[in-house]
Amino acid sequence: MRWIGAMFILISCGGFGFSIAYNYRQRERLLLQLLNTLEMMSSELEYRLTPLPELSRKAAKVCGGVLRDVFLNLARELEWQSEPDAGGCMRAAMEKCHDLPACLRRPLRQLGQTLGCFDLPGQLQGLKSVQEICRREQARLEQNRDARLRSYQTLGLCAGAALVILFA
Amino acid sequence: MICAWKQLLSVLPHEIGAQVDSVGRDTMQELRLRLNAQPEIVSAAGSVWLKQTVRQEDLNYVVNAASRYSPWCASTKKQGYLTAPGGHRIGICGDAVCHCDTSGGFQRITSVCIRVARDYPGIADRIPDTWESTLVVGAPGWGKTTLLRDLARRIAKDRVVCVVDEREELFPEGLQRGKRMDVLHGYSKPRGIDMVLRTMRPDYIAVDEITGESDCYGLIQAANCGVRLIATAHGAGLLDLKQRVVYQPLVDRKIFHTIVLLKKDKSYSVERVVS
Repeated sequence: MRWIGAMFILISCGGFGFSIAYNYRQRERLLLQLLNTLEMMSSELEYRLTPLPELSRKAAKVCGGVLRDVFLNLARELEWQSEPDAGGCMRAAMEKCHDLPACLRRPLRQLGQTLGCFDLPGQLQGLKSVQEICRREQARLEQNRDARLRSYQTLGLCAGAALVILFA
Repeated sequence: MICAWKQLLSVLPHEIGAQVDSVGRDTMQELRLRLNAQPEIVSAAGSVWLKQTVRQEDLNYVVNAASRYSPWCASTKKQGYLTAPGGHRIGICGDAVCHCDTSGGFQRITSVCIRVARDYPGIADRIPDTWESTLVVGAPGWGKTTLLRDLARRIAKDRVVCVVDEREELFPEGLQRGKRMDVLHGYSKPRGIDMVLRTMRPDYIAVDEITGESDCYGLIQAANCGVRLIATAHGAGLLDLKQRVVYQPLVDRKIFHTIVLLKKDKSYSVERVVS
């Protein structure tokens, strides 16, 4: 019984450490996904002049998870014309996604501020500046990433082991 | 009479839309929204002023809804107008931004004029079938576009009609087209005329609102290729048309053989020009 309890503590603490590391990687993945989506949006705008509601739906198709929800919500808000401007629609779309990581909030907010305000060159410039924000955020996350992820995992395992020793 | 009324209401803020729907559904010709003023509904009987005051958000809403939040799709916004779904024309005024003498769009919109597009199938039936080039002449708001639309549709029952519809006003989505009609949206008139001339083998080319010299030369080029034309031009009468410098190339070359003269009450008379 004792051994089972010890294993349980060890696994849950270790799992916690691993889940923090997983979330960290997930944030990076989402940022990369947003970068690719912005790239796709730029091309769509430049070569097809796709209207914003349709563009948001296309963006939702190429990304997954929480980003897909944001873009789908944005497309709906734009189609319902719920706000006077696209920035307001983006805000409403983001509010509906409660599990949006902080690292995505800033670039998405910036994206909302630039969407639908300018003509084509201005809009492309706006997308570029959002891409730049994403890259900076990505670089920040990448800094000492491996060491940091290893420490999260090790810390989780060590905390579990410490608890086992304490309870034993 | 056919009118894309729902589409018109969809570009209006909800409160203004509800009032417009109850007051102007059948008679409204124009809706004028001015910042910090009451909306004005213009009809043949005169003006009706609504109660609500227009805010900046309302004007932004109209422009964003009409362009589907996509200014890059509404390239004409820079020139001060947009075409809303259903073919309704939206004129814009406000603080414009200029870069090196070219318009760069609007910093702030202070007035919007929405002109309701209505389709009256059969109104061109009184124009005789001459199979010649026809010019519809009238002042703004006298029904040039409506008449041209029906005339093009009637001719397209028997002949191939290519419509160069620069602003997507003549045949927007939802309006009935003719049987043998091809519609080119988006291109400027001279470029569009050149394109359909080369690729679509039209019997007729239809264009709305000849406003510039380049439009005239595009039409002359088409006429020289043996294509008949149907077009509209601004003017209060035949004399007025002849006096306008911009139309001189067309008048001198006698491109149009049938002139339809519109009157303020939207009735019209047909005149023949002897070549």
